[in-house]
Amino acid sequence: MKFSIYNKEKVVGYLFILAPILQFFIFALGPLIYSFYASFTDWDGLTQPSFIGLENYKEIVLDDRFWKALYNTIFYMIGIPIGMFLSIILAILMNQKLRGISIYRVIYYIPNISSLVAIAILWQWIYNPDYGILNNMLYKLFHIQGPNWLYNTTWVKPAIIIVTVWRGLGYSTLLYLAGLQNIPHVYYEAAEIDGASSLKKFIYITLPLLTPTSFYIVVTTCIGGLQMFVEPQILANNGGPEYSAATVVFYLWQKAFINYDMGYACAVAWILGAIIFVVTLIQFKYANKWVYGMD
Amino acid sequence: MLKKFKKALSLVVCLIIFLSLFTVININNSSVEASSKIKITWMGFGQPHEKELYTKLVKKFMERYKNITVDYICTAPGQEYGMKIQAAMASGKLPDVFYVPPENLRAWVDAGKLLKITKYVKASKEINLNNIWPQAISRYMYDGKTIGKGDIYALPKDVGPFAFGYNKTMFKREGIPLPDPKKPYTWEEFTKICKKVTKDTNGDGKLDQWGTDLDVNWTLHMFVWSNGADWLDNTKTKVTIDDPKFIEALQFFADLRNKYKVTPTAVQGQSISGYQRWLNGQLAFFPVGPWDVPVYNKLKFEYDLIPPPVSPRTKKPATWLGSLGFGVASTTKYPQQAVDLAAFLSTDREGQRMAYQMGLQIPNLIDMAKNEYAKWKEKPNNKMEFIRVVEDYGRRFPFEYTYDREWYDTFYSGLQPVLDGKMTAEQYCKQVKSKIQKLLDKANQKAKK
Repeated sequence: MKFSIYNKEKVVGYLFILAPILQFFIFALGPLIYSFYASFTDWDGLTQPSFIGLENYKEIVLDDRFWKALYNTIFYMIGIPIGMFLSIILAILMNQKLRGISIYRVIYYIPNISSLVAIAILWQWIYNPDYGILNNMLYKLFHIQGPNWLYNTTWVKPAIIIVTVWRGLGYSTLLYLAGLQNIPHVYYEAAEIDGASSLKKFIYITLPLLTPTSFYIVVTTCIGGLQMFVEPQILANNGGPEYSAATVVFYLWQKAFINYDMGYACAVAWILGAIIFVVTLIQFKYANKWVYGMD
Repeated sequence: MLKKFKKALSLVVCLIIFLSLFTVININNSSVEASSKIKITWMGFGQPHEKELYTKLVKKFMERYKNITVDYICTAPGQEYGMKIQAAMASGKLPDVFYVPPENLRAWVDAGKLLKITKYVKASKEINLNNIWPQAISRYMYDGKTIGKGDIYALPKDVGPFAFGYNKTMFKREGIPLPDPKKPYTWEEFTKICKKVTKDTNGDGKLDQWGTDLDVNWTLHMFVWSNGADWLDNTKTKVTIDDPKFIEALQFFADLRNKYKVTPTAVQGQSISGYQRWLNGQLAFFPVGPWDVPVYNKLKFEYDLIPPPVSPRTKKPATWLGSLGFGVASTTKYPQQAVDLAAFLSTDREGQRMAYQMGLQIPNLIDMAKNEYAKWKEKPNNKMEFIRVVEDYGRRFPFEYTYDREWYDTFYSGLQPVLDGKMTAEQYCKQVKSKIQKLLDKANQKAKK
């Protein structure tokens, strides 16, 4: 048997993916299986769990806080299309030959790598209804008395969506930028010869050829969005007014670590896991209908 | 190719054997060390100045006990500690000494995570139980049913009397006679003064001075307890928030904003916190904890402590008295040494002096608190009020008696419409009672298991 270059590459490739695979088997698989078992138990996280069958799951169905948290989590998903729309526009702008373009690219990426606590403090200040910059601007520009963003059951979710969109913008813009730069220029030249306008070029060339990037963003942000935890936790105290800002992960964290309901929390986690699985499955199933090159 | 592979394989095997030899030697070394030197780990949380204090105390402890090494781990305050300590419990790797919030005591003792330390405390040279606040020790006593009875499971890190303060400078400016700390204001007198000082001081048409601005989470207790009501009955199995006395106190609290208009409005109140307004000198009354003192003492106005306003029903002041404890893990290999460390951190005179001078707490030692601390020249002048809270009218949070606090958090999570004046206290309490009772029942069932 001889190692060909192809084989060598294969080995190197496997070695590269070995790290996350090993990490999964060593650190994640065990807890994963155990949490599945724990979801059928009455377990406070301190003493031995006792098996109770489907009791936790039955209770969750009747638990209005769980449904409220799930509704909030899904509500936050509104941010995904908004974020994608804005990042396509930004990516197109940043794809121009402008002076100091790399500075803009860095500026938009900064929120993505900043500390979440710093971001929370910044936005708490922006949202302050008395002296916050947002309400001040609303008043000066439109004479609107802005709401008390983070302490109002109606406005707390939009307020958090704005933060998450702002924070994720740099990352998806970067992906779109890479997608844009991969589109061969000959397509545009051919379209120009046919007399296509800029709008038509955008609709018939740019958008379809960006669909693989869009698909990647939709899938990953949906998975991430369903697991949202930190932003509502630090922006809205204790789940927000009347629990209007709590997400499913916040709820399960509260159950597990504040109320000693680890078994129940595991059941919530598995329901969330199932939701994420189904959502992702549906996305892959229908991907060939809109993603270019997915057939 | 095969040859190369074999060569590589033998090299790997050699390396593994060599490395494992090294670990054996290492393990042997550490076991030699262990026999002569005891290693204790202790985990807490805190702000940087707190960490600095405990680092110094640990060093001093190690100088006194030459054969003990203490490994001090300090996490950030808040949720991080709770998650870390629970993970440590689940994996059976608890530090020898760690912070015990009193609300967690029952669950942790019932789960067998905390060591019964009564006999070790009595054997320790580091502590004189008679000189520590019994109100603090009793929080960490538990007989399997009731908190406050039975064996000791932790020693107090501190007691936190949540006293009441007033802005002396504002009183003088407004020509209001200064209060007598021995004679608390009644609710009526309190409201009257609040009304008098709530005004627009610069003539711009907007209020910029108020009577008070109290956070419901921390101060509703002052009114409920003083009115002779409580969240739970004596057996801690029944929710009593529909008691007319409870409803009356909650309504009075909400009325301060909506009827008497002596606090900032709902929107104003949530924008700049009451704390900030007090710091700005815009409020006549505000609570004061010992931990606030370093900040408050730098303010441009004078302030002092008084008892909180009292209900006409009981005429007795009330507030909460917080605490945190040092517990010892049931799995510790060195129970006596771990208790000695906990006792040292809890009561070392020099440590206690540093702690009060840093503004962390009032002393745990009764003699030091009543003499040295009470006479200390720093503000507030009436430091004895803190001591009166400890000895006389400070109480535990209701959730400290129950297995979890979901019932209590649920009470607060829906309270906003009452505070905004969109719902009466009676409507809210009657509507939410059964939901809270169910959650309490669930918590009590956990305790019975």
